[in-house]
Formats: sequence, C-alpha cells, structure tokens
Amino acid sequence: MNSASPKVARPRHAPDPGSSQPRWLFPFVFAILLLLSILPLGRLAVTGLLSLASGGGDGLLGDPALWTALWHTLTTSFLGMLVSVAIGGSFALLLTLFDIRLKTAIGFLFMLPMMIPPQVTALAWLGLTGPSSTLLKALGLAPPLGSPQPLYSIGGIALLLGVQNAPLVYLALRAGLLALPRDGVEAARLSGASALQVLRDIILPLALPGFAAGAAMAFVSNVGNFGIPAILGIPASIYTLPTLIYAKFASFGPSTFADISLLSGLIALLSLAGLTVEERLLRGRDYRIIGLSGRSAVFQLMGWRVFSEALLWLVLFLILLLPFAALVSSSLAPAYGVPLTLQTATLYAYEEVLLRQSITRTAFSNSIGLSLATAFGLLLVTVVMAYAVSRSGPRLAALINALADIPYALPGIVLAVACILLFAAPLPLLGVSIYGTIWIILFAYCSSFLAVSLRPLVSAFRQLDPSLEEAARLAGAGFGRRMRDILAPLIAPAAGAAVILVFLIACNELTVSALLWSAGTQTLGVVIYNLDDSGSFNLASALSVLVVLMVLVMMVLLELMASRLPKGVVPWRS
Amino acid sequence: MKILRSALTALAALGAFAGSAQAADLVIYTSQPNEDAQATVDGFKAANPGIDVEWVRDGTTKIMAKLMAEIEAGKPAADVLLIADTVTLERLKQDKRLMAYVSPEAKAYEASLFDAEGYYYSTKLITTGIMYNTQASMKPTSWKDLAKPEAKGLVTMPSPLTSGAALIHAQTLSGNPALGWDYYRALKENGATASGGNGAVLKSVASGEKAYGVVVDYMPIREKAKGAPIEFVFPTEGVSAVTEPVAILAGTQHADAAKKFVDYVLSEKGQEGFLKLGYIPARNGMPVPEGFPGRQSIKLMPFSAAEALKNSEQDLKTFSDIFGGKG
Repeated sequence: MNSASPKVARPRHAPDPGSSQPRWLFPFVFAILLLLSILPLGRLAVTGLLSLASGGGDGLLGDPALWTALWHTLTTSFLGMLVSVAIGGSFALLLTLFDIRLKTAIGFLFMLPMMIPPQVTALAWLGLTGPSSTLLKALGLAPPLGSPQPLYSIGGIALLLGVQNAPLVYLALRAGLLALPRDGVEAARLSGASALQVLRDIILPLALPGFAAGAAMAFVSNVGNFGIPAILGIPASIYTLPTLIYAKFASFGPSTFADISLLSGLIALLSLAGLTVEERLLRGRDYRIIGLSGRSAVFQLMGWRVFSEALLWLVLFLILLLPFAALVSSSLAPAYGVPLTLQTATLYAYEEVLLRQSITRTAFSNSIGLSLATAFGLLLVTVVMAYAVSRSGPRLAALINALADIPYALPGIVLAVACILLFAAPLPLLGVSIYGTIWIILFAYCSSFLAVSLRPLVSAFRQLDPSLEEAARLAGAGFGRRMRDILAPLIAPAAGAAVILVFLIACNELTVSALLWSAGTQTLGVVIYNLDDSGSFNLASALSVLVVLMVLVMMVLLELMASRLPKGVVPWRS
Repeated sequence: MKILRSALTALAALGAFAGSAQAADLVIYTSQPNEDAQATVDGFKAANPGIDVEWVRDGTTKIMAKLMAEIEAGKPAADVLLIADTVTLERLKQDKRLMAYVSPEAKAYEASLFDAEGYYYSTKLITTGIMYNTQASMKPTSWKDLAKPEAKGLVTMPSPLTSGAALIHAQTLSGNPALGWDYYRALKENGATASGGNGAVLKSVASGEKAYGVVVDYMPIREKAKGAPIEFVFPTEGVSAVTEPVAILAGTQHADAAKKFVDYVLSEKGQEGFLKLGYIPARNGMPVPEGFPGRQSIKLMPFSAAEALKNSEQDLKTFSDIFGGKG
C-alpha cells in the first residue's frame, strides 16, 4: 500500500514479474485468522473441555441458577425475536413493497435502535415507564407509589431486545424483497390477480426464507445481549447466561475461570444452533436472481397510504423519540423523584460529566482511541484479506470468510472470556501479561470486528473488473504497485465505510469491555453502566445523550457517503 | 514483506495511541460513588500537585473480585484501596496483601478506628438506616416497622452479595437478639426485595417504585437537599455503621504517593472534603454535615469485626438462602 519503492519487479518478492499474487499473501491471511479467531476460541474450547473432563461441570450443572439463567435466556430471546419479527417485518414490507413517502428517512431512523448501545436503550426506556419516569412526572402521569417498574421483568427484557434487534429482521427481509422476480408479479397482475392475492401467493412465500433468517439473526443477537438484561434483569434478580457470567466474574473465586468457560461454551452452542438455522434458510435462495428485480414500489396503497405512513411514524415515535425524550429529561432532572419543570431543570449532570469527571475523558479517549485503532488496524489487514478472498476459489474464500465471521457471530461475552483465558497468564517468550491493560481490549475488538471490516471490502473487490488489474499486471506492475495505483482508489469508498462501521460498533461496545476493563481502561459502555450502578442515573443519562449524538453524526457521515459505496455496505440502504 | 511490515508498524502506532491512557502515578480502587471519588481525588491532587491519579469505582465485592482476578493473573493494578468496610481489609491484612504504614495523622483518631500496626485506617462513619418516600403513609421509626403490613411489598434493601456496607448491616442486625435472622425472614415474608447496591435502593425509593429502603445515610440526606421527595431516619434500635477504611496494597510500585494519599484523606483538609460531600468524618473534633443529628445522638448497634470476618461466609449463605438471587 504505502510501499515506497517505485520499482515493480523485485526478484525477492515476485520471481515472475507481475505474478498475480505475492507469495506471502495466503500465509499472512492465515496467520491473522490463527491469531484473531482460531487461537482465542480454541483456548476457550480446550479450557471448557478440560474442566468438563475433570468434573468441573458437575458443580455448575447441579446449580439451579444455571438452569434458571438458561431458561431466561431462551424465553427472553424467543419472545424478543417475535417482537423483532413483528416490528421489523412490518417496516420491511411497508417500506419495500408500498408507495410510502420519505422511505429513506424512515429507514434511516428505523436503523437507529440497532446502532445505539443496548444499555442506553435500557436506560432510556426506564426513564419512560414506571413511577421513576421523569418524563411521566413532568406530564403528571406517573403511576402511584409502589407501582412496580414494568420493565424489570422477562417481558420488559424481551420487549427491549425486540426493539433493539428489529432492524436485523428488517434488513434480512428487505434484501429478500428487493430481489424478488418482478416479472412473476407482473404476470400475475396481468392475469387479473388482486394485490392481496399477489402478496399472499407470490411475495410472502418467496420472502419467507428472508423472514426466517432475520428471525434467526435476531435470536442469536438476543442470546448474546448483555446491556439490556444487565440493566433490566439484575435489579429483579432475573439472570440470563451473559449476566450470570458477569455475576460469576464479579464474585471471583477459585472455580471462576472454569465456570465461566463452561457457561460461555453453553452460549456459544446456543448461538451456533441459531446460526446453523440461519445458514440453512439462506442456502437455497438462488431463485431470486431469476428475472428482473425491481426497486420501485409494487403496490399502490391508495386510501391506506396516509394511515400506513401515520402508523410507521407513530412506531418510530414510540420506539425512538419517546425513549430519547425520556433520556434527555432524566439527564436534566436535579435529583431522583423531582418533577421536571423549567425551574427545576438543570445542566448540572452535563457539567459534572463533561467538566468534573475525569472518568468521562478517560472513557471517551479510550473508546475513541480503541475504535480508531481497531478500525484502521483492521483495515490494514482486511484490505489484503479481501483481495485474497476475491482472488481465490469459492471453497477457500468460504473458509476465510467463515473463520473471520465466527468471532463476530458469537456473543461478545464468549469472546471476552476466551481472551481472559488466553491472556490471564503472561505471554510465552515475552513474559509480560496484557491482562488488565488496554491491549487485551484492543485484541478482543480486532477479533470481534474483523468480519465487519472484511465484508464491505470483499464486496468492493468482487465488483471490480479483474481486467484492470490484469492489464496492470501484464504491464509489469507488482502487487504493491497494483494495490496502490489501481485497486486502492477503487475500493476507497468501501474502505471508508468499513472504518466508520467498525468505529461505530466499537465505540458503543459494552459486553466485551465489561469483563476486560481495568484501571484507566474504562470504555464509554462501562462508564455508563457503572454510573447507573452507583446511583447516578442523571449522569448516566447525560453521558448516554452525548453518545447517541455521536452515533447520529457517524450515521449521517455514512449516509452522505452512501451513493459512492457498493450495494449493501450501508446497513440501512439496500 | 514491505507492506506487511508497514502494516504492522501502523498497527503498533495506532495501538500505542490507544494505549496512551496508561501508567498513572497512583491507582485507587474505591467503592465511593463516582462524584465523590472524583471530588476526593481532586482534593488530593490539589494538595499534592504533580501526582497523576487513576481511579476505579465499583461495589466493594466487585472491586475485590476485580482485584483478586488481577492478582491471579499476576498483575494487580491498584495501589490504594478506599472501600466500604474494615472486615474486607482485615481479611486482606491476614492474607498479607496489605502494606503497613504508620500515618502521622493517626493521633487525631480514636484507637478503635484504625489498625494498630497501620494496615488500614477508617476515614468516615457511614451508618445504615431507613429512607422513605414522603408520599408513604407510614413514617417508620424502628427496624421492625418494615415488617409491618403497611410496608408489604414496599421495602427494598441492598444485597450483601454486592455491597460491603450491606453485609455488615445484615451481620449487625442478625447479631442483635431483638432482631436476628428471624427479622430478615419476616422481611422476606412481607415481600421485601434485596438486590444491587445502595444506589439502586436510593433510585427505587426516590422514584417511588418502593416506599421504604434500607440505605446508607449520606445518599438520601444529600438527595433530599437537592429536592428529592425522601426522608432518612435513624431507627430507635440504633444503626449499623461502616467506616470506609483506606489501605495500601503490598507490593505497590508507588508507595510514596500511596502514603501521601493516606495522609491526605486522614488530614483535616481531607476530612473537610468528606464533610462537604455529606459524610460524617472519622477524625476527632469534626462537625457533622448538615441534615444529620449530632454525632452523640446517633446510636450505633454493637458489632465485632473479628466475629464478622469469621462468620462472613455463613452469613452470606444464610442471607441468600432467605432472599435467593445473587446480588
């Protein structure tokens, strides 16, 4: 990339001037995969199996807390998935198939919940409901003393998981709907089928795999979610597997390492089951390529249009604007239980968070530094990896993609545990330990978000016409030269998108860092959680508001780049 | 190779940028709420310019778990502990994890408030009493009021599994013949909940999810001053107390800065800082914060740290057998 040498054919690297790939390409790619994927997950598997073999599982498996947590994980994930399917499915159908106005704006806003950190979502909704709601108090609608907070329940956790992951169903279904064979629909219409018949007999059956795949993705996401069950479940003693791991780690004892490795193995199994279902469902969808696929609306809503539009905006109001308003009002409240009025409102929480708390600066600089390091660090390796994927056969490409995908698909808590096990002891040869330093978080981020960075680049490389590079190669340009002069400029937009996506996701991360943080390495997610935990709800809310604003800015940036990017890179566009 | 090398160099450079937030002169692990921790550190830095301080806040048990995990991994980050109770520090002292330091400030303290060999020093008096929401029908005056039918389903308390103060409170009350573990069983019967730390109790009573809470004194007294609809009472039977001791960890790389920190929190200036935050200072001859009754009128229930340490595990088990859950 920034190889300084203008010489193109240097025998050491390229015996055949302009040979299509440098020799180190595949060894390099597999070294990265070994380091970021195989090593941590292999270490986790070994510890888990060893502790099972030595009877370490007996105590844990006999613990009713484990089975309760497993049950809670399954019920909240399943119910949450239903909520996601209902909300995400309706949005995808209405926005894709009907003549709704302001589609891009609605789609953009609908994607926001997924980009907002889950613990911020939880805090916002807590501020919205129950007797504690500053917003309801301001409106004089707060429930009476002693009313339970309805969100501290299985239903509450499921509802928020559903809202958080509804965009996943939306994306999966929308991708399927956009690729529908349009001539089939037209043929049916010409033969006199009504809109309803077309929808029922052609579109929905064809969209079913997308629906189901989205549901499976939402389920897997729910299983691994930490922020929502941590904030809504722990106060009500409702533990899911990820929060149980956190609790085990927070009462560290002699069997902790063995216990958490088994628990995270269990989460990994649940996730893999979900992923297998998703993969099965998506396998047979080649039919979609038949015929022309259309972007334009298929059906006219006629008189229903205003009603449908009002419904969509109402849902957005309920799941986005209202919780955010609650978050803002909590951040302006002077103390707990004080009704918010123009007289009582105060910016104290913002002053405290921004000007006095050194932890905020630490967290912002850690989160931003970590996210930048992860985003650019990954970019350097994923450009090379994506090139390798695009230039290798389908089998090898699938293997590379799978090895990069697994750490991303597994819940963050599993990866965090894998990193703890891998790095708790000092590194061999070097004799230093990175446990308790920022390096362990950076490593976990790189491992976790490798796939996020890789995907847009792979699709960019695949879109390139190989003849360009071929021509350069014939003219004698070596790999570095081709990369710099031909490929890099063409994939630059995708690289920019990869950087922003990784940055966005890493900045909002809580699950991985919740187990890995130490003195001076707190991230934004950890600080928001800890502020809430210490009873500083207003400070937690103020910091959350700032984080939401940061997310919005990043999303707008990505939206502005959207027209120059390959299809499917910006998640809310298709 | 060149690309690979430049890629790795760039990765290392970026990583170094991310890692620049390391290596403070002093690392403090504390269970004080964030605002108080920051104020304490700010006060210390003002008195000792040039010392770069990093602090970490979490519940006492979580902080201890973090520390133990770090010790296990061979990399304890903390130099100084400032956490809820002497029982935890007594255990660390017996495990030889603490460094003895005889502070010149100790002479201004009652002998019962610090370790004679200088392993830890109490910094303040934090009592645990009852808070209630001003909309509540009953105004509790005794611990037993919380087990009455008027309070059914309306009581919450911190869990000893999370909070050091809560453990000592449970041990104090269960050791009182008039209350005992039967009192806790009666609370459970009455629908009381126990989870999380004191912050969670404050939140749930001030916001009206619950009407009554068992909580450390300074939180409700401070919030009431800001206008929250709550009251704090010292029950007639007396209150339990923790003293938020400070200690230096054995093997610290920053012993000098750590000693300065101990001296500072025990000094008159440091104690005034705690007073301003709304705590009762441990040092002799200091006033109490606004909103507190005189120090003489606060009745402390008897408590033995040595006994408590011996029984901690059993008491935790008894508590979780009654209330279930894991904190």
